[in-house]
Amino acid sequence: MHQIVSVESVSRKFPLNHDRTRNLVSALDHASLRVDAGEFLAIAGPSGSGKTTLLNLIGCIDQPTSGRVLIDGVDTSKLSPGRMSALRRRKIGFVFQTFNLIPVFTAAENVEYPLLIQGVSSRERRERVAVALDEVGLSARASHRPDLMSGGERQRVAVARAIVHRPALVLADEPTANLDTHNATQLIDLMHGLNQRLGLTFIFSTHDARLLEHTDRIVRLCDGQIESDGHDTSISQHQGGIRGQVFASSLS
Amino acid sequence: MGKFLLLAFRNVFRNRRRTVMTLLMVGGGVTGLLLAGGYFAFMTHGLRESTINDGLGHLQIFTADHFRRDEVRVLDTGIENWQRVAANVSSAQHVRGVAPRIEFYGMVSNGTKAAGFMGSAVDPAAEKSLGFISRVDLGRDLDPKPGGEVEALVGVGLAKSMNVKVGDGLTILAMTSDGALNGVDVQIVGIVNSGIAELDSRYVRITLPAAQRLLQSDRVTNLVVGLDRTDNTDLAFNEIAPRLNGLPQQMELKKWIDLATYYKQVNNMFNGIFLFMGVIVFFMVLMSSVNTLLMSMLERTREIGTMLAMGTPRFWVVALFMLEATLMGVMGAVVGVAVGNALGAILNASGLRMPPPPGYTEAILFKVLHLPGLMAGSSVLVIFSLALASILPAIRASRLQIAEALAHV
Repeated sequence: MHQIVSVESVSRKFPLNHDRTRNLVSALDHASLRVDAGEFLAIAGPSGSGKTTLLNLIGCIDQPTSGRVLIDGVDTSKLSPGRMSALRRRKIGFVFQTFNLIPVFTAAENVEYPLLIQGVSSRERRERVAVALDEVGLSARASHRPDLMSGGERQRVAVARAIVHRPALVLADEPTANLDTHNATQLIDLMHGLNQRLGLTFIFSTHDARLLEHTDRIVRLCDGQIESDGHDTSISQHQGGIRGQVFASSLS
Repeated sequence: MGKFLLLAFRNVFRNRRRTVMTLLMVGGGVTGLLLAGGYFAFMTHGLRESTINDGLGHLQIFTADHFRRDEVRVLDTGIENWQRVAANVSSAQHVRGVAPRIEFYGMVSNGTKAAGFMGSAVDPAAEKSLGFISRVDLGRDLDPKPGGEVEALVGVGLAKSMNVKVGDGLTILAMTSDGALNGVDVQIVGIVNSGIAELDSRYVRITLPAAQRLLQSDRVTNLVVGLDRTDNTDLAFNEIAPRLNGLPQQMELKKWIDLATYYKQVNNMFNGIFLFMGVIVFFMVLMSSVNTLLMSMLERTREIGTMLAMGTPRFWVVALFMLEATLMGVMGAVVGVAVGNALGAILNASGLRMPPPPGYTEAILFKVLHLPGLMAGSSVLVIFSLALASILPAIRASRLQIAEALAHV
């Protein structure tokens, strides 16, 4: 299987204050992870466990303190900011917790944006936007602005925006955190369906234990370390130590 | 590009209240510049035409010696056979007429008191045909065909100091071209009020034949050329200059602007004031816009982070902010030009008068000229100012750390 993401012993430390040499706090500690093309992977863990940090590093919007991240075989630590930007533009789609749609653009224009910055022709943009909106079931809402849409619809627009350029990898940071259970389940099902139909690789982080039932693989993080990596969705098996109890409590 | 422009345009109207405030400020700056600049232009245009019509003319012909050396005797640097030169020039395009002049100096006496004067001698018919105005306050202008007494116009200040009125007599004394002292009795037919106190206290004007008799010379100091329009000065200059070559005397042709020292001083003063106003408007727009655009950038931190995360090149973000500011500048300029022209039209219709400037005795009509060049210049100034103001926020936005920007609340 083609390996799309390779995280190799990656650590990320942040300064606690403006002094960048002292008082560092570790957000991620020697984490390693490999993701094959076409996987539907969830990163689970309590708040502060390092989920967002790991996704930011995979998404090339942050740099590791040590270790390296390879996207589609490319060592991102060796890329210039411009090339990193180009890599994100071509190979990665993002879905954010707070949707992060451009408020002055319509749904269609938001979905069009990744194609716009890639220099795709307007005719092709129109066709691909129509397909993407159809895939998330929002063709009828194409001309609506985000403020006239529900949270579930906005997040589906965000998903359409993330997949419209057929990236190698779609990263979703807590995509269901601002949705009710019904919409959250629908969104995960939508993403899973896109993963199945289009073969897109999805990596998403979540707090919600119920959503883990829909995933193929779960990577559990705690205190910046990968605690487990597998297909088991059971929580009870991870309640062995103090770390496990904290995790279980947060999931519940 | 179209979508990018659309994004910038919609972003401008995101915070409508702030945009309206910015447009009012930018528009106010443009309006102020248009009103001040239009008024200054009216003043300088009026001064230009009055300077020309008061007798300066559009072109003047002198002998080259007039500028090279001082006169040893009266009119020894004057133009000989001036009628031939005048006839030669009169046939040029745009020329309405040619008027001979003599400048001379001497003493004027009422029998009990004497004072120095600056005299000018003119051909009243030629002056009248060129539309030159003598600004006679009391009495009448010189008669083109006087009989009997030599007629004279005197300045209001001189008349007051010599205690004379219209109809009274004065004796004018001057040196002849032979170096002798000569005198002529004149009758005052008019009192002139030029509006310039310094001039009016020494002003005497008589007819050309009378002056030639007084000075014992048939020369003239210069020839004044009147044109159909001031804008044709350069054209006429280029046509007349070659015609003056090959004459017995070497001639020099001068444009009105080279002789209008006072006009140039006033023009420079207005230009200086206008430049100062432009600098104030420029910095006013610059400083307040930097603040507005920085606020806008701060509010959109997460959105900018999202755009950068999706792979938007950083220079696109810079360009977006600069485009938004430029659009705001364009809209502000349009508002300013519209309001400025409307206000100018209202003020022009109101008949408002301004107090007389230093050296003048009459109130000046307040009028604003609508000048396309001024509108374009003021608009470019504020647009450039806003574009410049956007550089700092634009660079800050483009340098945001993406992960931090996405976490911005």
